Amino acid sequence: MTDILAAAEGVSKRFRHTPDFAERLAIRLGAAAEPATVHALDGVDLHIHRGEVVGLVGESGCGKSTLGRVIAGMLQPSEGRITRQGQDIRALRGADARKMRLATQIIFQDPMSSLNPRKRVSEIIGEAPRVHGLIPRREVRAEVGKLLATVGLDPTMADRYPHQFSGGQRQRIGIARALAVNPDFLICDESIAALDVSIQAQVINLFMDLRRQFNLTLLFISHDLSVVRHISDRVVIMYLGRVVEISPADTVFDAPRHPYTAALLEEIPRLDRRGRRFTAIKGEIPSPVNPPSGCHFHPRCPHAFDRCRLERPALKQVGAGQDVACHLNDGNGLIDTPSRQGE
Amino acid sequence: MTLLEVSELKTWFETPAGTVKAVDGVSFSLAKGEIIGLVGESGSGKSITGFSILGLVDPPGKVVGGSIRFNGEDLRAASEERLRALRGDRIAMIFQDPMMTLNPVLSIGTQMVETVQAHRRMSRADARAKARDALGRVGIPRPEERLDAYPHEFSGGMRQRVAIATALLHEPDLIIADEPTTALDVTIQSQILSEVQGLAAEMGMGLIWISHDLGVVAGLADRIAVMYAGRIVEEGPRDDVLDAPRHPYTSGLVASAPIANERGKPLRQIRGSAPSALHRPEGCAFRPRCDHAGDLCLNDVPETCATPRRWRCFYPMGSS
Repeated sequence: MTDILAAAEGVSKRFRHTPDFAERLAIRLGAAAEPATVHALDGVDLHIHRGEVVGLVGESGCGKSTLGRVIAGMLQPSEGRITRQGQDIRALRGADARKMRLATQIIFQDPMSSLNPRKRVSEIIGEAPRVHGLIPRREVRAEVGKLLATVGLDPTMADRYPHQFSGGQRQRIGIARALAVNPDFLICDESIAALDVSIQAQVINLFMDLRRQFNLTLLFISHDLSVVRHISDRVVIMYLGRVVEISPADTVFDAPRHPYTAALLEEIPRLDRRGRRFTAIKGEIPSPVNPPSGCHFHPRCPHAFDRCRLERPALKQVGAGQDVACHLNDGNGLIDTPSRQGE
Repeated sequence: MTLLEVSELKTWFETPAGTVKAVDGVSFSLAKGEIIGLVGESGSGKSITGFSILGLVDPPGKVVGGSIRFNGEDLRAASEERLRALRGDRIAMIFQDPMMTLNPVLSIGTQMVETVQAHRRMSRADARAKARDALGRVGIPRPEERLDAYPHEFSGGMRQRVAIATALLHEPDLIIADEPTTALDVTIQSQILSEVQGLAAEMGMGLIWISHDLGVVAGLADRIAVMYAGRIVEEGPRDDVLDAPRHPYTSGLVASAPIANERGKPLRQIRGSAPSALHRPEGCAFRPRCDHAGDLCLNDVPETCATPRRWRCFYPMGSS
């Protein structure tokens, strides 16, 4: 199946704080430094096929949320382009652009800050389809009721305000709002991170149901590798603005080919890892203002050699559906992962 | 030897809307050198349990019942002066947000020297040397220089290390850690866990690790206590609790972990959500969410003790 729904091609995103008049003056007089540039994304290529669930994993500052927003068209890339069904989304105008934006919806981490506290749930969910003329005004109420039932909420609660719901229920409202405009592509940005453990499982199950029911494509962004592995078809690992490994979800735990993936796997807390002696990978996550040269991971990598400090490794296919950006794979293609050593 | 003995602890909050029984009859004990994981979801009372031990519950909250014995001493009867002498010296706490412990306008050296001198008669230079050693012990590079840095000059993980170093200054007998790694990234969390684990073993401290993450607790703790709606619903040795849970809530939590489920299949989930602390159901608070509930569950659930385990359930799992 080569039906590509959305793709990022060579996407880079840099954020630079624009100095105000006083700061510009201070810079001119040498009293302040030039504002720093944050390299949030650095040459990212990613293809998302229709109907698949892609999990995007990484630690803070790796650019996973920025990538989600760029793909959704909320942020413009500094370089590269985003395509939707093969078309550059920046070239779309008028009705086509509107259609593309409606077809891609984001579900955020904190449902309290992404729902308007002064609006009733019926307005929150019903507003977009009404404004865009997707359903006639008099059918909005019935439609809202149907959507609430779809996400597992009682339709009689449509006249309540967001604060009258629990965290898990609020997240369901956010999901119903996204579904209201009939999207084919959902971007879930840490959508379960703020929920309690027993509620997380419910919302993960809801996402899996909806995907089947509405034939959705999902980009599931999370820091939690075990959740991502569970619901995704493919897992994309990012580190400091770059994709370091793309792997089929069913093998990501067994055969990591990037030392960072191996370290992440080694260190996620798991129920079946009891009374372990924690051994941590060294060092901090570097700042995206001033990322290390060559491979961004080299200062923390136990396998780094000279080439890693100088040359950026390209993302190359190393196995069936598995792409890795690591110079080690140019040799015998095998790294001794810490997880294999430990067992 | 028993280091800490908490029995029938009750911490209630009087609010205009009614009494919130945040902690409602919690008992557990901790031996020297032992690590207990206190697990629960938000509102289960796990943090308030930690605060109560240290006498840090603010009004309208109040410890209204039970006893807390630390090295044989009754902490509920202790004067504020006595508690102040114990806190930071024999008992220390580490919080989720290190900025809760660190003063943003003082260098960390100043703060650590202050902590040393609050409990020991010591020259400034000696106190500073002690602070420097403590920073070195938690893996902060160039500790001598870093003493002059301010909290904002550290990353989140490094700040948490500073908070841990401060907690360890007097080699306390007991550390209460309230979700100290929850806000940190996976690789940084692992570093902190590794430091804490090593230090606890080296110094023979008792450690109460409060967390919502069963995975972290599985890796760290000797024993696990699971809290739900203000009570410990199950407690026992780590492997017993995780491999053969007796309480349906524990069982549900363990079964819902992605790792315990086949990839791509629906996760086994606990239905419903935790009750509000103001309107807890009669009898067993877990009853409305429980698949095993029966007629007895409308009554107050007594604790069943089968040393080394105990649980609060009329129809425990694993007994037909």
